[in-house]
Amino acid sequence: MKILIADDSRVMRQIVIRTLRQAGHGGHDIVEAENGRQALELVRTEAPDLVLSDWNMPEMNGIDCLSALRASGSQVAFGFVTSEGSEEMRERAASAGAAFLIAKPFTPEAFDDALRSVI
Amino acid sequence: MSAVLPTAEVPAADDLLAVTEDVWLALLGDEAVLLPRAVPAGSPFDAAAWSAATTISGGWQGVVTVELDESVARRLTTRMLALPEAEEASDSDIADAVGELVNMVGGNVKSLMPGPSALSLPAVAAGRAAFASDAALACRLDLAWQGDPVRVSVHVPQEGPR
Repeated sequence: MKILIADDSRVMRQIVIRTLRQAGHGGHDIVEAENGRQALELVRTEAPDLVLSDWNMPEMNGIDCLSALRASGSQVAFGFVTSEGSEEMRERAASAGAAFLIAKPFTPEAFDDALRSVI
Repeated sequence: MSAVLPTAEVPAADDLLAVTEDVWLALLGDEAVLLPRAVPAGSPFDAAAWSAATTISGGWQGVVTVELDESVARRLTTRMLALPEAEEASDSDIADAVGELVNMVGGNVKSLMPGPSALSLPAVAAGRAAFASDAALACRLDLAWQGDPVRVSVHVPQEGPR
């Protein structure tokens, strides 16, 4: 399985990769993007099976990236990993077509639960 | 903690502490114990080497800041990146890690307050955080991690004519 991780923080991309491993989802092919625009491009060129995206990023944020993906016809599985876990954000994420929203700070269990819904 | 604005809605110190402890625990696991640190009201942070701020705007307005002692910032970054003990974190790694820290605390504060609001990208400084002149301190936590100081603050716009 190929997973695209989009986050402007290199530290957070590392933590997400480590948490995936701790959650029993190591061994996947990982692709990294620094913002939504790069993620959009990499979905086209790399064809990942899942996108794990931050919400707030420069250039293009996560929700705009998801909307652009859906507008272009892409149905790639998409989940947010964001510090904003309010009900309002979860509703916005779901109505834009996200499969899940993992709130930071997170646990390996939260990752496992979310990934089980799409794998 | 000192509440400056009785009329403005501000996060409770207990809630801010719970959010900070959750973030710290997720990042540092077993070594996450944060202890309270007695600091007189109005004292500037005595050791700030790194600080970061994020702004919440919309249904609720405020600025969340984190100030860290240099050694705390370095150790935090080393742990977040899982660097070998012998490897020094670079300044850009520290800026990234401290920015992510304030993003997490700020995002969780945003969830506590009325919305809808937007969270800004974090601004990180090597040195003390800058505050807008019309912002007033609403809530402040002075903590110690492994003996070194950590401060988390929330500022809100000052009300009334200026």
